[in-house]
Amino acid sequence: MEQSFFEWLQNTPLAVLVGEVWFPWVESTHVLFTAAVVGSILTVDARLLGVGLKNLPITQIARQLLPVTWIAFAGAATTGSMLFMANATGYIHNTPFLIKMCLLLALGLNMLYFHVITYRSVGKWDVGKPAPPVRAAGFISTVLWLAVICFGRWIGFV
Amino acid sequence: MDIHQFGDWLSQTGPSQAIQASTWAIPAIQSVHILALALTFTSALLLSLRFAGLGLTAQPLPELAGRSTRRIWWLLLVLFVTGALLITAEPGRTITNKVFYAKMIMLALVSALTLWLASVARRGEKPSALHVTFAAVAMLLWGGIIFAGRFIAYYESF
Repeated sequence: MEQSFFEWLQNTPLAVLVGEVWFPWVESTHVLFTAAVVGSILTVDARLLGVGLKNLPITQIARQLLPVTWIAFAGAATTGSMLFMANATGYIHNTPFLIKMCLLLALGLNMLYFHVITYRSVGKWDVGKPAPPVRAAGFISTVLWLAVICFGRWIGFV
Repeated sequence: MDIHQFGDWLSQTGPSQAIQASTWAIPAIQSVHILALALTFTSALLLSLRFAGLGLTAQPLPELAGRSTRRIWWLLLVLFVTGALLITAEPGRTITNKVFYAKMIMLALVSALTLWLASVARRGEKPSALHVTFAAVAMLLWGGIIFAGRFIAYYESF
């Protein structure tokens, strides 16, 4: 049943088009969007960790970079889905791909916790040394995003 | 010795053979290369957005420009080293590929643009419409560089 869904997906006209013609363009665009997502998030993380952009308030960095992150993430998710469709039955058995998806889920949860719980007290740590939970969020995000890049690149090598 | 002979010679050298023999070296080097590009893109973006008057106003432009460009030069060093390793590993895929040369031309242009914009910022000049336009062009070039980097893999070498 599950298998037939992925088979169906892979045979949709869009998936066939991506697989046969658009793949290089879609993948290159995916790398571009991914670079914008990861670069902007790691920059915010550096500030959360207290290692970079130390003289700027966290809220100001977040206000400037998070719209970039979200637009780029929408692009990366769209192009990523298109790539997935092109070889859905293969990717669901690709270990680096599955690990990458789990990492993205964990990153989503880390972000959710940070924005809903930790961010409430932002007034106290917006300027100066970040509080321990803030540094923890930055650390988890940095490590997991680095892993996303590595596993993402590895998908094509298995 | 023409470029094809040079590529053949390079691919037979010890370092090239060592990277080729490893199953993980190429994806690992590529991951570092992509990460450095992601951070370069964001450093350039912070500077370009500031030129356009969009945010990060807590930091004076000359100071922000100094920090961003220093970061960009360090990252370019990382990109040069990892890029050189990737060429050494697979010369036939890069130095005889037109997309690779397009990428290098864009890199030369964006480096010159960054030097110029940084010098404008350091003098404390108020950015004109021309500066803002070129700051936007620089971002397009960085985007093109990232896109081209992945596209090399799909474009047939001459």
